[in-house]
Amino acid sequence: MDAKSIQQSSTILRHSKSNRIKIKPFSKSTFVLRITLAIMAILTVLSFATINFQTIDFWAGLVDTVTNFQTMFTTPQLNHFSFWEGFYAVLITMGLAFLTTLFGAALGLLFGLLSAENLSNKRVSNVIKGSVAFIRAVPTVLWVLIFAVAAGLGSVAAVIGMTFHSAGYLIKAYSESFEELDEGVIEALRASGASWWQIVVQAVIPSSLSYLVSWTFMRFEINFSVAVAMGAAAGAGGIGYNMFMASSFYFDLNEIGAITYYILTFAVLLEVIAIRFKTNISGH
Amino acid sequence: MTTLLNVQHVSKQYGHDTLALSDVSFSVNEGEFVSVIGPSGAGKSTLLRCINQMVDTTDGEIHFDNAILQQMNKRELRGLRTNIGMIFQHYNLVERLTVIENVLHGRLGYKSTVAGMLGLYKEEEKERGIELLEMLGLREQIYKRCDQLSGGQKQRVGIARALIQEPKMLLCDEPIASLDPNASKRIMDHLKSISRSMGITALVNLHQVDVALSYSDRIIGVSGGKIVFDGSPKEVTQEIIQSIYGSEANDLMVKLGGQNAI
Ligand SMILES: Nc1ncnc2c1ncn2[C@@H]1O[C@H](COP(=O)(O)OP(=O)(O)OP(=O)(O)O)[C@@H](O)[C@H]1O
Ligand SMILES: [Mg+2]
Repeated sequence: MDAKSIQQSSTILRHSKSNRIKIKPFSKSTFVLRITLAIMAILTVLSFATINFQTIDFWAGLVDTVTNFQTMFTTPQLNHFSFWEGFYAVLITMGLAFLTTLFGAALGLLFGLLSAENLSNKRVSNVIKGSVAFIRAVPTVLWVLIFAVAAGLGSVAAVIGMTFHSAGYLIKAYSESFEELDEGVIEALRASGASWWQIVVQAVIPSSLSYLVSWTFMRFEINFSVAVAMGAAAGAGGIGYNMFMASSFYFDLNEIGAITYYILTFAVLLEVIAIRFKTNISGH
Repeated sequence: MTTLLNVQHVSKQYGHDTLALSDVSFSVNEGEFVSVIGPSGAGKSTLLRCINQMVDTTDGEIHFDNAILQQMNKRELRGLRTNIGMIFQHYNLVERLTVIENVLHGRLGYKSTVAGMLGLYKEEEKERGIELLEMLGLREQIYKRCDQLSGGQKQRVGIARALIQEPKMLLCDEPIASLDPNASKRIMDHLKSISRSMGITALVNLHQVDVALSYSDRIIGVSGGKIVFDGSPKEVTQEIIQSIYGSEANDLMVKLGGQNAI
């Protein structure tokens, strides 16, 4: 088709003023998107313009904050526990994160399979997806506090609550990974007489393994930071508790700095291990 | 000649208004090589999938090897499917697994659930897999991952996976639609010689009329969910091609026939 016949066969949309050719036809969704962006921009400007500092002098506050950070990070120091005690505390936090991710992953795998539309029936899938959406809508901390009613504040409530939310998260993540799988592969194995479990283990999981690993590590990282917070908020122990004590009981800035370094080191370590693992998997 | 497959008055309706097949009847003898041709949406894929019950029929009966498919329970159906190999346009292999692992998937239907899940294959099965791959010229690729293969090689893996089932029948849904002429010829030659030497009945959906004519013992022409032609390739005339593909197809077929000649 030459340019002339294109012009004849379809009307080309042009901007009314500049007469340039449009590449995106006007639609409701682009309109809504633009309105949303505009409103957000206005609100951002407005909120900064109307911040009420009350009696606090902004510049003095800024200087104080910087000084505090300086104390924390340039002169870290352990005053209320030893290096190895701290190390042990981080391990406990890590353990909490690991355990809850493991439980979450096990539940995620089972219910993820049952809620993947290509592996399950529509009814079951919808019921699971609905309940999981509800579980995820409630924040992890709240789940821990809810279970604390029965189990009392402490590690048990933290494990149950965090497992609950991890499972919710991983069920969704896994089932979406499973749904990515080419329908034809499942069909091929079904047509050769393979059973559901055989198809799952022989085709579905190998095909989505790299997704599963990424999502699981992602959740492990989230659970690590939640576990730190749980130590402080729910008395689950670990480095979070030391942090809580240092900050609201001893007001010890140097110790907070030291604890931050602990957490940072482990978080980086975790990331490195995760990357190693993932490259190994995708390289077969 | 014994009849292997007998399709009697089969209809298939999707939803409320799509009648993909209406009152289709034909039978296929043991060892026959039959091609199904017809325009897009004619119901060829649906027909093939009714035969291994991947799609259940709305009406009619299918007899395969003296059993009636419509009366089978789930377990019997699994047994039936092990007797029917299927080959696909897009190969449908597990890309992340090796060639031999994919081939051995053809044995899953014969195994207990747990043995199949764990991939515990017998030594004879592995030997048979390697034998089939050698026959199909894939000796060097046995331990390669399937995502490293060319389309033609993938289709040969697909054939090996179907053959290791020791099937009585092969269903091929446009096996060469994604391949170049050379690879297409190689695949069709393999299918034909497999059908000949192993006595396996083949039912092949094809878009290339010339290929269908030169390889088949029999042609079935489908249009609008009905069989409009069923006979030997010699009986196919321009008028018949027109009745299958509609009147405009005429020039096209001649042209395509010239280009794709194998
Ligand atoms: N799963 C399905 N749900 C609803 N309708 C379907 C489904 N599969 C096929 N159809 C319809 O049934 C009719 C026959 O489809 P079928 O795939 O069997 O055609 P085909 O001859 O294989 O076409 P092609 O040559 O394009 O592969 C079409 O109208 C199609 O839209
Ligand atoms: Mg088709």
